[in-house]
Amino acid sequence: MSDQNDPMAEIRASFFIECEELLEALQDGLQELDDGSEDPETINVVFRAVHSIKGGAGAFGLEALVRFAHRYETVMDEVRNGNMHPDSEAMKLFFLAADHLSDLVRACRDETPLPEATSEELLERLDALLGEHGVEEEEEADDFQPLGMGISLDLPDLDAEPESSLAHYTIRFKPDQELFATGNEPQQLLRNLCGLGEAKISCVTTELPNLESLAPETPYVEWLIELDTEAAEPEIRDIFEFVDGLCTLEITCVSGPSAEDAGDTGPDLPDAPSLEATATPDVSTTPAAAEDTRTKPEDAPDKVVTLKKDDPAKEPADPEAKKAAPPAAKSVVRVDLERIERLVNLVGELVINQAMLSQSLDEAGLSPHSDAMNGLEEFQRLTRDIQDSVMMIRAQPVKSLFQRMSRIVRESSAAVEKEVRLVTEGEATEVDKTVIERLSDPLTHMIRNAVDHGLEPTEARQTAGKSKAGTVTLTAAHRSGRVIIEVSDDGAGINRERVLEKAVSKGLVAPDANLSDGEIDNLLFLPGFSTAAQVSSLSGRGVGMDVVKTSIQSLGGRISITSEKGKGTTFSISLPLTLAVLDGMVVNVAGETLVLPLNVVVETLSLGPDDVQMLRPGSYVVRVRGGFVPLYDLGVMLGYRAHRKTDAGAIVLLISLEDGSRAALVIDGIQDQRQVVIKGLDDSFYRAPGIAAATILGDGQIALILDPADIIAGSGHPRGADLMLSERKIANE
Amino acid sequence: MTEPLVLQPKLDLPAAAPLAEELKARLEGDVVLDARDVTQIGALCLQVMLAAATSLKAAGHSLSLTNVNDRVVEQLAQMGFSPETVAEGRV
Repeated sequence: MSDQNDPMAEIRASFFIECEELLEALQDGLQELDDGSEDPETINVVFRAVHSIKGGAGAFGLEALVRFAHRYETVMDEVRNGNMHPDSEAMKLFFLAADHLSDLVRACRDETPLPEATSEELLERLDALLGEHGVEEEEEADDFQPLGMGISLDLPDLDAEPESSLAHYTIRFKPDQELFATGNEPQQLLRNLCGLGEAKISCVTTELPNLESLAPETPYVEWLIELDTEAAEPEIRDIFEFVDGLCTLEITCVSGPSAEDAGDTGPDLPDAPSLEATATPDVSTTPAAAEDTRTKPEDAPDKVVTLKKDDPAKEPADPEAKKAAPPAAKSVVRVDLERIERLVNLVGELVINQAMLSQSLDEAGLSPHSDAMNGLEEFQRLTRDIQDSVMMIRAQPVKSLFQRMSRIVRESSAAVEKEVRLVTEGEATEVDKTVIERLSDPLTHMIRNAVDHGLEPTEARQTAGKSKAGTVTLTAAHRSGRVIIEVSDDGAGINRERVLEKAVSKGLVAPDANLSDGEIDNLLFLPGFSTAAQVSSLSGRGVGMDVVKTSIQSLGGRISITSEKGKGTTFSISLPLTLAVLDGMVVNVAGETLVLPLNVVVETLSLGPDDVQMLRPGSYVVRVRGGFVPLYDLGVMLGYRAHRKTDAGAIVLLISLEDGSRAALVIDGIQDQRQVVIKGLDDSFYRAPGIAAATILGDGQIALILDPADIIAGSGHPRGADLMLSERKIANE
Repeated sequence: MTEPLVLQPKLDLPAAAPLAEELKARLEGDVVLDARDVTQIGALCLQVMLAAATSLKAAGHSLSLTNVNDRVVEQLAQMGFSPETVAEGRV
């Protein structure tokens, strides 16, 4: 694989990528079966996934993979044929086998030692399952002869007899006048079409007038082409790419691999008789076409017959073709990640450059209505669109991540002997690829925690009147420009007394500390904290939530806990959509230029003399629309300056944090609202609290990007429940 | 029999109208098209020939092609015709 020039290595690499997709489909299918899906297509999908992996593995001589996949497939075949109705135990085994299959695929890919022992054990269990159902089928294991082809793993219908890969298309092509005006020529298009396979071309000339009334530059004719080709429909359409919109083009697949469009034959039918009636009957190609069909009736049984009017054979042929059609595959292109990274970087530079241009035009004192400024506006819009599109390239649904988690749940619940159900929501939520990759470890940890600590043992659940099986819910959603991922369990909730006790005994908090529930919950994130009385194989080693918190923070995210006694615990991760750009508010504080994420800013106001009230020395609140919000002076908090005597006249940004609390930040002035490119601070910098990253502004100046939640969390000022109390107190006064 | 009409080498869009004019002028008798110089025959000129063949046939005359080189035969075949079927015109 290391050799870039080795074509086999490339094919092999693409096989493994293909495998990932197949494994994903396998997981999906199994999940659907487990959820009680009766759709025969579901088991077909599962079967096909295993079968395709086996086929590809055979081509690359991956014996162990073939062997396992084959026996797995045999069992699936029994299920497919209705000979076996898997119970929940069998489904568990199927999931295990699927997990193992993916282990094998990865081991083969990375050329690491294969987990043979697990293979043997699982195979024995699979065989036992077969035995139970009285199926005697083993010899076939040796019969399987891998095919010598690697890429086309997406076999359309594995039941079907091996048939010719030729598809038969009927194409109707009628050029418009503009087609000629743009220098195109039907003859050349038809010639290219002939290059795709065997084509029978007939020209329909019914519309052609006699010479006296003929407008020489108007096309009157159209062509009907019967094409037998290995090419897929998109390839055929490619030929007509440059005359798109300049002609009438109808492509119908009558039979063959991509017959899904067979239903479209309709529009062609009325034309067909006209061909028979009008196109020169002794055109040498027409009889030949008929001849040809007779010689290979299986390939295109109704090919020429379809051109005849009132032919009943035509009608039933269509639904059949449609039925056998495999689901249309999404059209995707694989791109080297490096190229995308490069593109993202370039777009970042473009954004900076645009900011610089915008600034210099501004400084040049141009009228906002001048052409240059209007042009700039358009340019900004385009930049934004490009940026969004580029970011979309990197975005991926969290589905693959969630699937990995379902495996973690299966494994960890088995290890602690609890019955656990994983419910996932929002699998289609798209998140930056880098974020997904780096979320895997923290999520794994959180899921294990939920299974191990969150959910009570089965007996305890039953005593508490809960269902025997615990539920772990994993959800993803987009919320106000961020991605929120939540892991929740329906367990006993956080035992706050135990947590506090433990924290005190470890010296993490003072024995006489008076902590709110939220603060106690947050103790879980302290380094070296672990509450499990028993250290299990899964968790309880004392490294855990603090590592999770650090990794989430390094992604520019935040994590929070909510817990209700007896009901369960929810960990909520909030992440930026992308790690590359940010809509920011550029502000001045004590002569420094800083950037605040725009999505947290809900309001800006300037302070009047009576707006600020002191809660206690050093702690102020500001009156906003009848409510009180804690006031923080950014300049003081970041250490830029001492407290000001009065805040009157200062500008305040009202920010709203994810937990729903609000805060007011005092700044000196607002410069602008613009997109900034996030430039991560190198590890060699000290990670200052409250500073998320940096950016380069239009004038080349570097500005720090702030993380307001972090600043406020680090301030030690009252927030949340405490503040609500104080708010109420003041209001009463 | 009248003089054969020697066709232009390139029978594309610009050639269609002049060809139609020339053929209209010859509808009074049999027409022979000499394709010896032709390198490219396009759909519009083909239409003109087909229409001429029909008109001639209706008037009891005929149209024929001579000196058709392989290239032209091939190009006609790609459009579903042969020199003979062109001479027949539309039915």
